[in-house]
Amino acid sequence: MTDGAAELLLEIDGLTVRRQGEALLDDVSLRVRRGSLHVILGPNGAGKSTLLSAVLGQIAFDGRIVVSWTGSGAIGYVPQTFAVDPTLPVTVQDFLALTRQRRPVCLGIARPTRTAIARLLGRVRLSGLEQRPLAVLSGGELKRVLLAHALDPEPELLLLDEPSAGLDKAAVRILEETLLALTRAAQTTVLMVSHDLEQVRRMADHVTVLDRRIVADGPWHEILGGASGLEALPVAAERWGVRP
Amino acid sequence: MTALYTWIGGLAQQGLLPSDFQYPFLIRGFLCVLVLAPILGGLSHLVVTRRMAFFSAALGQASLTGVAIGLLLGEPLNAPYGGMFGFCLLSTLAMVYVKRHATLPPDTLIGVFHALTLGLGLCLLVALTRQFNVHQVESVLFGSLLTVTDGDLLLLVAVGALVAVLLVSQYNHLLLDSLSPPLARVAGAEPAYLEYFFAVLLTLSIVVSLKIIGALLVEALVVVPAAAARNVARGTRSYLAWSVAVAFFAGAGGLGVSTRFFVPTGGAVVLVVTGIFFLTLAARSMLRRRLA
Repeated sequence: MTDGAAELLLEIDGLTVRRQGEALLDDVSLRVRRGSLHVILGPNGAGKSTLLSAVLGQIAFDGRIVVSWTGSGAIGYVPQTFAVDPTLPVTVQDFLALTRQRRPVCLGIARPTRTAIARLLGRVRLSGLEQRPLAVLSGGELKRVLLAHALDPEPELLLLDEPSAGLDKAAVRILEETLLALTRAAQTTVLMVSHDLEQVRRMADHVTVLDRRIVADGPWHEILGGASGLEALPVAAERWGVRP
Repeated sequence: MTALYTWIGGLAQQGLLPSDFQYPFLIRGFLCVLVLAPILGGLSHLVVTRRMAFFSAALGQASLTGVAIGLLLGEPLNAPYGGMFGFCLLSTLAMVYVKRHATLPPDTLIGVFHALTLGLGLCLLVALTRQFNVHQVESVLFGSLLTVTDGDLLLLVAVGALVAVLLVSQYNHLLLDSLSPPLARVAGAEPAYLEYFFAVLLTLSIVVSLKIIGALLVEALVVVPAAAARNVARGTRSYLAWSVAVAFFAGAGGLGVSTRFFVPTGGAVVLVVTGIFFLTLAARSMLRRRLA
């Protein structure tokens, strides 16, 4: 393995996903560097979430996906949607305990699990919310609970599917600060889907623009940095209304 | 079992228990309720969370066909378990398979199976009238304490223990899969396996409950306890506790109503459990108004 290859955590080659004859992803190849915050950018229907599902091994695909683990080998995942039935009596603590103890959570939560959950909630700045039902959380709080869920065990690769969708500016800012602090401290590699250009400017190390195929790929300042960047791409002008 | 009935009957004669407990069939019915409450109450909160209420109704009515098949194949009138288990398990596996592989909405597909099994059951029951008085299968349709035997009780205990052990082993994955199948997959669960697994547990539990509750009404004890519990529970633990408590009081109350007013046990249980549901609904409304 070359030094360049050793720096890569994720390599995707010729990824193609078809559903009912239609190509949701067509011959997509990309590289994700270890420890980077890599954003997949694209309009609705570009195949961003499909790409994450393929990386998670949750859908059938053609092509090759290789993950070169050197650490925990754990994947954290924050889904785009998490619909909570408004009458469901599941608390934040119940939810976070589901994957942290073998005992059914309906029979009680063990003390070590409660301690671990309190620590996790502290990391996403939600201390004290253990007994709050999921159904009454705000959108921003729910996203941070999902982030807390994704952070234990400490992931080597963290997949985030539009984590700030539907959140107000304050909630987005808190989420981004939390995310940056966590990932920088732990050297976690983050692959994040977004269609928010401003968020990408604030957070990304590397950007891949996707519209079922790779449209552009490079460091964020090259892709978003001016007339030679994203604004010059026909797909941006047509589908996002970005003016050159 | 006779010694147990004699001992409990003695306690009733001494005034330590209600006088109804002098009768073995009532003791047997109460013991059935004691076993049924944790099984159906425990399953109930997952049935509601996994949105399988209609599935449960379809399964209850499929058992009608199972009874008919069992009797046509020569099973005894008071225990056509082979037909019920066989046909209900087959229906369950078919419903889950088609639901997972078809593109139509799940309730539409279950509606198709519902109609199919009910139609088949009615045709077979008419065929059965040449061999039996069709009123003899009423106990399976509406539930009857008088027809419950010690064998039924022992089968209920055995299946209940099996279901409890299996449910405990997969509970956390089942609940996480109900909330978010992608997160469950990341946590190592296999949603297809969980769907078949839970549907089979539900089928086993429904079939052994039929002689008490009845095929047409068993869905009530699989759905309403959790619906009532949701009105008052504040976490997963209290959700389970309330579901089991509601199932127990509905079962015990239904037995009392059934013996006092000579009505089918299943109908009485349903009346009590829905009564409890509306009480909890009122309690929730009052609590909200007070907090507002």
